[in-house]
Amino acid sequence: MSTNIRPARVDDLMGMQACNLRNLPENYTMRYYLYHLMTWPSLSYVAEDSKGRIVGYVLAKMEEDVGPDDEPHGHLTSISVLRSYRRLGLAKKLMIQSQEAMAAVYKAPYVALHVRKSNRPALSLYRDTLQFSVQDIEKKYYADGEDAYSMRLSLKP
Amino acid sequence: MAPTPAKRALPSKESGLFRELLNLYESRQLKKGLKTADQILKKYPEHGETLCMKGLILTHMGKREEGRELVKKGVRLDLTSHIVWHVFGLIQKGEKNYEEALKSYTQALKFDKENMNILRDAAHLQTQLRNFDGLVDTRYLLLKLRPNLRQNWIGLAVAHHLNGNPSDAKKVLEHYQRTLKNVPDYDVEQSELLLYHVRLLEELEEYPEALNMLDINAKSRAIVDRVGIMETRARILSKHGPPEEAEHAWRALIQHNPDNVNYYKGLLATKNIDLDALSETNRADALQILQDFTTHIPRADTPRRLALTISTGDEFETLAKAYVLRALKKGIPSLFVDIKTLYSDDQKRASIEAFFESYRESLEPSTPSPDPDADPTEYLWTLYFLAQHYSSVGNHARALTLLDTALLHTPTLPDLHTMRGRVLKRLGDPLGAANAVEQARLLDGQDRFLNTKAAKYRLRAGLTDEASDVFGLFTRKDAPSPGADLEDMQSLMYLVEEANAHRRKGKLHQALKKYHAILKVFQDFEDDQFDFHGYSLRKFTINIYLNLISWEDKLWSHPAYITAALAATQIYVTVHDDPSVAKDVLSSGTSSEAEKKAKKKAKKAAQKQQEEAKKGAAASGNEDKGLELVQPKDEDPDGVKLLSDPDPLERAWKFLAPLPGLAQDSIDVWIAVYDVAIRRGKYLQAVRALSNAKALDPENAELYVRYVHLRKAYSSLASPLPGSVGAVVAKALSSLLPEEQQSQLDTNQYLQRHSTDGRAAFAAARGQYILGSPRDEVDNTIFTVFNPDVNLLLKTAIDIFSWLNETHSPRADEFRVAADKKFALSTVFKTASEQATVEKEGLSVEEQQEVID
Repeated sequence: MSTNIRPARVDDLMGMQACNLRNLPENYTMRYYLYHLMTWPSLSYVAEDSKGRIVGYVLAKMEEDVGPDDEPHGHLTSISVLRSYRRLGLAKKLMIQSQEAMAAVYKAPYVALHVRKSNRPALSLYRDTLQFSVQDIEKKYYADGEDAYSMRLSLKP
Repeated sequence: MAPTPAKRALPSKESGLFRELLNLYESRQLKKGLKTADQILKKYPEHGETLCMKGLILTHMGKREEGRELVKKGVRLDLTSHIVWHVFGLIQKGEKNYEEALKSYTQALKFDKENMNILRDAAHLQTQLRNFDGLVDTRYLLLKLRPNLRQNWIGLAVAHHLNGNPSDAKKVLEHYQRTLKNVPDYDVEQSELLLYHVRLLEELEEYPEALNMLDINAKSRAIVDRVGIMETRARILSKHGPPEEAEHAWRALIQHNPDNVNYYKGLLATKNIDLDALSETNRADALQILQDFTTHIPRADTPRRLALTISTGDEFETLAKAYVLRALKKGIPSLFVDIKTLYSDDQKRASIEAFFESYRESLEPSTPSPDPDADPTEYLWTLYFLAQHYSSVGNHARALTLLDTALLHTPTLPDLHTMRGRVLKRLGDPLGAANAVEQARLLDGQDRFLNTKAAKYRLRAGLTDEASDVFGLFTRKDAPSPGADLEDMQSLMYLVEEANAHRRKGKLHQALKKYHAILKVFQDFEDDQFDFHGYSLRKFTINIYLNLISWEDKLWSHPAYITAALAATQIYVTVHDDPSVAKDVLSSGTSSEAEKKAKKKAKKAAQKQQEEAKKGAAASGNEDKGLELVQPKDEDPDGVKLLSDPDPLERAWKFLAPLPGLAQDSIDVWIAVYDVAIRRGKYLQAVRALSNAKALDPENAELYVRYVHLRKAYSSLASPLPGSVGAVVAKALSSLLPEEQQSQLDTNQYLQRHSTDGRAAFAAARGQYILGSPRDEVDNTIFTVFNPDVNLLLKTAIDIFSWLNETHSPRADEFRVAADKKFALSTVFKTASEQATVEKEGLSVEEQQEVID
C-alpha cells in the first residue's frame, strides 16, 4: 500500500519519536510530543507505511506568546521523513495538511521554523521544497552555541 | 466546624506567623518561610502543622530526607489536621507514589471537606489510578462548590465518561450548554468541546442528533476544525444516513487529502465494496472509481496504488507496469516495500518478477563501461528492486550478485550498501553486514539515518564499543556517553539493541542494566499523563485526552517492552536456577579498553554534575527544586547489583506484572509467567499460565518443554500441596494435561508429530534433558536437526549451540562444525580465531573522521 498521510494520533507518538531519533539531531522526550498533541490536536500529521510504521511526521504548534508587533502564528517544531521514503514528496504532503489546519483552525497568518545554519539538507528541504524563506539569523539559538536561521512561509491565500 | 484542638491552637503572634508561613510558601519564598517556621517551632516544637510546612519547604530546597522526616513527625503530632495530610500527600505525589498520596488526600478531605485545591489534586490522583467511581464523586463535589467554573462541568462529564456512563456525561454537557451565553465565533476551546459532545452522541449511537449538532455548529463556525468536522461527518453518515450523502462526505475528504487511504476505504464501503472481500462485479466498479480519481487528482499516489491491489490478470499487468516505471524513473527507494504487499498473491509476484527481469535485460549495458548518455539511475533502481525481491523470497545469493553488479556500476549510492548489509545480516554474517552499512554511512556522514543504521548493525555484530563511537557522532557532546544521551532521549531502539548485544556476548549484568532502562522509559511514559489530567480540562481538548488515557492503558503491551520483559525474565530465571552463572559473569567481567574509557568519562561527568549541584545549593538557598524526586546518582552503572540480586524471581516478576492483562495473545508472555510462577512455588498460577498458552498454540515447541517441566516438578514435590490449593491445582492440571493425552508428551511421539521442524527437535531434546535422559540420547535428538528433511532456521541453530554450551554437552563443537557447513555463508559458527580474521578494518571511527570533515 502506498504511504498513508493522516492526522497524528496519541498512539503514533512513539513512532514519531523513533523516526525523529533515527533521522534528526534535535530530539525530544515523550512529554514534549504529548504537550504538542494535547494542546494543538489538529496540527500534527504522520506518514505511515502499509504495516502502520511511522516513516515521516510533522510536529507542529501555535506560537501564541508573541510580542506587540507580532501575531500568533504556526510553528514547525520538527518535520522529517526516513531516508528510505524519500522522493515520494511526503514532506510536502505532510506540510500542506499541517499548514491548512493552522490557517483553518487558528487563522494563522504564517508559519515559522528554526534550522541550524550548518544543516544544509534541512535548509534545502525548507527553502526549495516547502518554499520557506529566511527571515532572520538568530545568534546562538541552540544550546551548543550554533546560530539558527529563522524561516517563514506565508499562509495567506 | 469542630473547635480547634488545643495542641493546634497558637497564640495570636504565632498564629499570625503561621499565616505568613503559608503565604511565603505559596510565593515560594523558601528561605524566609524556613525562618518563620523556625520562629514558631522555637516556642512550640511540637506544632504538627508547622513541622509539616517546614518539612515541605526543606523538600523544595532539595533536602528531601530531612524534610520527609519532619512531615511524618508533624502528621503523627496532629492526625486531624487537613494541612498535615495535604502536605504529606504533596510529598508522596512528588515521589510518584500515587496510591499513598491519594490515601493522604482522602484523610485531608475528612477534615476539610470542601477544600478546592485538595479536591482537584485528589481528582488527578484518582484519574491516574483509574479509580473512576471516586473520581465521579470528587468531580461532582467540585461542580457543586463552583458551578460557575467551566472546567468543573467538563470535569464531571469526563469522569462519567471514563466511568463507563456516556449517557450521564451527555446530560452534564447538555446542562452546561444551556448555561452558556455569548460564545464568540472561532473559539477554539468551544469548538473542541462541541466536537467532544458530538463524539459522545456518536458513541451513544444517537446518530441523527450527532449529525444535527455537527452540522449546525459547523455552519455557524462554532466548530472550526475542518478536518475534524469532515471526518466525523463521513463516519457518522456511513453508520447512519443515505449512502449518497456518506459518499459525498468521503469525496470531500479525498479532495482535501488525496493520500489518506482510509478515505478511499470509507468511500468504497458506502458502495458496499470491501477491499478485502471483492467480487468480480464490484472489482470493476472499484477500479473505475479509483481511476477517476487518478485522472482528476494526478498528484495523488493512493488511488494508483490501490488499483494494483484490486486489479487482476492483464489489467494488473498494465497498471503495475505503469506504476513501477514511474517509480523507477523517479528513483523511489521504497518501491519494493510498497510492492511487496502484493506478493500474497502468487500470480502478482510472478508477474512483477518477470517484468523486472525483462526490464533489467533491456537496460543492461552491453559493454562494461556504460553509454555515458544513458540515464544510469533507472538501471540501478531496477537492480536494487530485484535484489530486495530475491532476498525476500530467500534467494540471498542472487540478491548479492545483483547488488555487486549495481555497486560496480555506481559505488556511491548508499541504498545499495545498506541493502547489501541487510542481505548479509539475513545470511548470518553480522560483521560483513556491519561493514557494508558502514560503507553507506561513509558516503553521507551528515545523514543521521545512515549513522543510526551503521551503529545498529555494529550492535547486531556485537561491536558495542564501536557502535558507541558511531552513535557519538550525532549525540550531545556534553552527555556522559553517547548511550546516556540516547537513553535520556528514550531511544527504545538503542536500548533494546544494546541490551541484546550484551546478552549475546554473555554480559548479562550490562544487558539487565539496559532492560531496566527500558522499564524506566515506560514508567516515565506512564507518569507523563499525570499533568494532563488537569491541563486538558483547562484546554478543553477532551477528545485527544481520552485517546491519551486509552493509549496509556495499553502502553505496556508495546513490543519493545515485551522484548525487554521476556529477555530480563529469562536471564533472572537462568541465574535463579544456577547462581554460579552470575558469579562467572561478574568474575570474568574484565572491561574492554573503550569501556574503561567510557566509564572514566561518565564518572567525570557525574562528578561535575554533582559539584555544580552543590555549588548551586550553596549559592542560593532560595532555589526551588520542586517536589519531584530527582534521580539519585546511579550506584550500579554496570548492572552488577541487578545480576547479583538475592531475589531474581521477584525482579523478573516486576517485569512481567503489567503483561498478563495486556498481552493475552502472546504465548511467549504466558510461558515466561509460567517460568517464574513455578519456581516461586505458585502452582495454580503456573498451571493457568500454561492453559492460556495452550489455548493459543497447543503444539508450540516452547510450551512442550514446559509441559515436561511441569510434570516433573509436580511429580517430584516433596509433600503434596495442602488442602484446597492442592485440589484446585490437581483439577487444573488434569484439564491441562488429561490422563489420556499424557502419552503425547512422550518425546518420541512429539518428535514424530513434528519431524520436519528443527525447533521441535530442540524442544524434545530439552524435554529429555529435564527428565534426566542420558546425555548421548539428548545429543542424538539434537543432531536430528541436520537430517535433510528438517527445516532448521539459523536462529534455532544459534539457540541450540548456546544451549549445548550452557549444558556442557561434549558434542557442542561438533554441532558448531556441522552448523557452519550447513549455513555456508554465515559467519556465526566460525571459531573465534576464524572470526578474528574477518575484516574488522574500516570500522574504527577515528580514521574516518577525515572523510566526514
